[in-house]
Amino acid sequence: MLSVRGVSQIYLSGGQPLQVLKDIHFELEAGARCAIVGPSGSGKTTLLGLCAGLDQPSAGVVQLAGYDLAALSEDELAQLRSRQVGFVFQSFQLLPSLTALENVMVPLELQGKPGARAEAEARLADVGLAARMQHYPNQLSGGEQQRVALARAFVHRPKILFADEPTGNLDAETSEPIERMLFELNESFGTALVLVTHEPELANRVGRVVQMRGGRIERDTRL
Amino acid sequence: MNGEALPCSLPQRLWQLLLHRWIWRMAWRDTRRERQRLAVFAGSIVVGVAALVTIHALRASLETGVTLQGRELLGSDLQLGARQPLDRPALARILAGEVAEVAYETSFSSMLRFPAAGGARLVQVRSSSGAYPFYGGVEVEPAGSWSAMGANEPVILLETALLEQFGAAVGDRVLLGEAELRISGEVTKPAPRIGRFAGFAPGAYINQAALEASQLLQRTSLSQYYAHLRLREGADANTLAERLQRAFPEMGFRFETPASRREQLGGILDRFEQFLSLIALFSLVLGAIGVASAMQAQLRRRRQSIAILRCIGAPRQAAFAIYLVQASVLGLIGSVVGAVLAVWLHVGIVACFHDALPLALSLWPEWVVVLRTTLVGLMASIGFAWIPLQQVRQITPLVALRSTNSAGRGGSWRQTAPVVVFLLAMLTLLAVLGSASLLRGLLLALGLILIFLILSLLAGGLIRLARKLAQGPVNYLTRQGLSNLFRPNNQTLLFVVSLGLGIFLLTLTLLLRTLLLDQVAVAESGAGPNIFLVDVQPDQVEGMQALLAAQSLPALESAPMVTMRLSGINGVAVSELQRQDAVPGWILRREFRSTYRDTLNRTEVAVAGSWPPQEWSADEPIPLSLEAGLAKDLNVGLGDRLRIDVQGLPLETEIVHLREVDWSQFNLNFFMLFPGGVLEEAPGFHVVTTRIPASISSGALQAAVAEHFQNVSVIDLTSILDTVQNLMGRIAQAVQVLALFTVAAGCCILLGVFLNGREQRRHEAVLLRTLGATRQQLRTIFTIEFGALGLLAALAGGGLAVLAYWPLAVFVFSLQPVFPLVPLIVLLGAACLLSVLMGSWLSRGITRASPLTLLRNG
Repeated sequence: MLSVRGVSQIYLSGGQPLQVLKDIHFELEAGARCAIVGPSGSGKTTLLGLCAGLDQPSAGVVQLAGYDLAALSEDELAQLRSRQVGFVFQSFQLLPSLTALENVMVPLELQGKPGARAEAEARLADVGLAARMQHYPNQLSGGEQQRVALARAFVHRPKILFADEPTGNLDAETSEPIERMLFELNESFGTALVLVTHEPELANRVGRVVQMRGGRIERDTRL
Repeated sequence: MNGEALPCSLPQRLWQLLLHRWIWRMAWRDTRRERQRLAVFAGSIVVGVAALVTIHALRASLETGVTLQGRELLGSDLQLGARQPLDRPALARILAGEVAEVAYETSFSSMLRFPAAGGARLVQVRSSSGAYPFYGGVEVEPAGSWSAMGANEPVILLETALLEQFGAAVGDRVLLGEAELRISGEVTKPAPRIGRFAGFAPGAYINQAALEASQLLQRTSLSQYYAHLRLREGADANTLAERLQRAFPEMGFRFETPASRREQLGGILDRFEQFLSLIALFSLVLGAIGVASAMQAQLRRRRQSIAILRCIGAPRQAAFAIYLVQASVLGLIGSVVGAVLAVWLHVGIVACFHDALPLALSLWPEWVVVLRTTLVGLMASIGFAWIPLQQVRQITPLVALRSTNSAGRGGSWRQTAPVVVFLLAMLTLLAVLGSASLLRGLLLALGLILIFLILSLLAGGLIRLARKLAQGPVNYLTRQGLSNLFRPNNQTLLFVVSLGLGIFLLTLTLLLRTLLLDQVAVAESGAGPNIFLVDVQPDQVEGMQALLAAQSLPALESAPMVTMRLSGINGVAVSELQRQDAVPGWILRREFRSTYRDTLNRTEVAVAGSWPPQEWSADEPIPLSLEAGLAKDLNVGLGDRLRIDVQGLPLETEIVHLREVDWSQFNLNFFMLFPGGVLEEAPGFHVVTTRIPASISSGALQAAVAEHFQNVSVIDLTSILDTVQNLMGRIAQAVQVLALFTVAAGCCILLGVFLNGREQRRHEAVLLRTLGATRQQLRTIFTIEFGALGLLAALAGGGLAVLAYWPLAVFVFSLQPVFPLVPLIVLLGAACLLSVLMGSWLSRGITRASPLTLLRNG
């Protein structure tokens, strides 16, 4: 599903080259899960961005769903994401001018699929928000916003989901149902999952932990 | 190894995206949380387009009015005028075959007495035979009283203003020269104007019998004789005029055609229209800047949303298309509202000013002009929105992961340059559309860019100065207030330039208005004459002086006047000079009134040569003293020769003396001064001047002069200056009202700037409250911030106005600049107050926000 081979990433910082990722090798099968953990600045989010086709690596190859991401144009990458990829962000990243329902409909609308509304309503019901579909993000609590984000991430049945600290902005009580729903949806849709987290407990629930430090993979452990 | 080609759901091309339903749906959804801000966006367009359409529609209506009513403005196809009676049989022989109808008119100014009211007034006496005006007609009350002009009994009809002034009515008795006449009718719509005092003297229409009964024609030297011609189909007015000129070279005919009157009127309107075009351009550019700034702020707030859309698979052009659709629809709505507003403004302006306008304008504007200008306004607003929209393409999906990631820089130069070129071209096109010539249009566009550049530089300098001040030894509240001007993403320069532009126009208008009105006031208040007694015959001069003495009034000046024309310079005939275009046409065409004396007045200063001249022999040219300005225009100096035609008698003169004349004083000033012994026998008249104290009315003097010297015209300068002052006041008012368009456009930008900074200000307020600031302290900080913004704008706009005013006063108006301090300070203070009030209103509630919101929302 996802193949990362010899990937390095260098940014210019204050005119000086700054190596953020060094020679990363990493594979993920369809429907599999993996957690990327590591201290701040270890390159977790950069790696997630490269895997999801949000950025291009300075060196190496990233293949996603059979596509070499370097060979795709900006718009082809967008097409790939709209069909194969789902996202869950730490700060929810809902579109503030859209209702919960409309936020969930967007990925389907982008593909021009019919029945977007019904599908979105079903996903919102899955995450327990059937009664709050017409609410705007600022009318929802943090946990509810993240549940809308989950519904949006799964509504188009992506082959792979990238989650960046999905419970990082939530307390333990609110986090638990989010994590549960994330794994349930992951299993029921057979979606591969790449999860970036600081929390060892959450990482351990994933089953495979990729430990990063200083831009390198320090350990890749299958539990 | 790539898989199969990716299926495409949304189209890739921009134009296809712009037609896609989802793009329109997203553009609509995106407006939900931003209606207030988007209203400001649309407001900028409304003001810009309204200004543009109103002004262009008014201009088009004026032009159409002038074109369509050219014949009505003249009343005939050709008018010829002379200072001597016309040889009607000889004229008839030449005109036969080409002219369908002729009307002859004799006109002069004279005093008309109203015995019942005990008053008198200078009127333009018009006695015509025939059906003039052929076009346009005259309206009278009671209907049909105009036809009495053909009667054998004396008949007089008076204009409404005259009847109102003396409380007279149809049937009342009036005295004109020796004639006692009953008013037969009231002229509510007069015949087209003729004659030199036409602007100030109302018309009195009499028939031949009344003219003879008045016996004025024999006594006045200022009568004019006209023939109004209605030409047959196919006859050419200009060709006929040339033939007449050739046939009667000694008559010195003046010709007017509908085209020449159109040009004359067009010339007057032209400068006004240029100014209007400038205001329209300013308003549109300000509106467009408002659009660009609103779009910039909208995109700054939408960076995350755009990145999220890109993350979840929206193509790069999709976000661009969403905001382009949004800007275009808002632009369209704003333009339509602006155009509707403009149509009603046009209707309102025409309805309010139809009495003051020289021609009848259509109440409704020309729809083609409205449509064309609205489209140009719409394109300009979309074009200006396009520039900030370029940055949508630069926002990467990574922004959704890392909000600190750099994005939102402007588009690349390659993408932005064509848009900027397009906009410059559009502004130039607008300037050219609003100008009489391509060159003037280009100069206007260049001037506009220059004003923006200078204002931006001035504003930039002042902002840097304020920054330095904030770093100086000032208290915390002032430092914080001033520092707020330099927040990240601040729009201080935009604010200062936009408000500054409105202040610039208002201040400049105020300064110029004061300069010109002051000039009139100075002329009025000085020791110079304010009553001119014109057409005093040589044998009446002593009697007139005695009459003044009897009224305890001084006879300030008495000067003989002889009319003459220039017929050649240094041996080159005027006709040749006209062909060469070497000398301004008006000098060659004008009739000079010259005098003779051996001394200089107190308003004259010798520049070169000496006066009085030395003796000259009969075979030498006559020595002449010329006004220095005229000498410069004619490109002549001492020793040059002028050939002058004194009512048919050619005189060869040599310039032996040059004078500077202070024309701002209403003394008897002359371009040409002859020595004694040359013009005494030439037909002419005297002008005697006096001064009536401001507290006394000139009515008694007018009545006395009208009784004893019926041929003499009393020109009351005070009433003329009142009229001029009133007219200038109205023009200045109209200009200031239109300049308010720019202020309104500036206010839209201000609204946008304040709204854009509101969130940041709220965040700062909450943070400061958390740190212990009181509400009063917060209010002080914001008042200092808004006041400083207003002050910077006032200084920049006011400063530029003073910079522009100085050369305008000195070089264009040739006057000493006057700075009315109090109105200037009030205007600049009002700008600060506007800024503080608007800022405070749009920031209301911020100082009351609880510190808890910071903890909750971060």
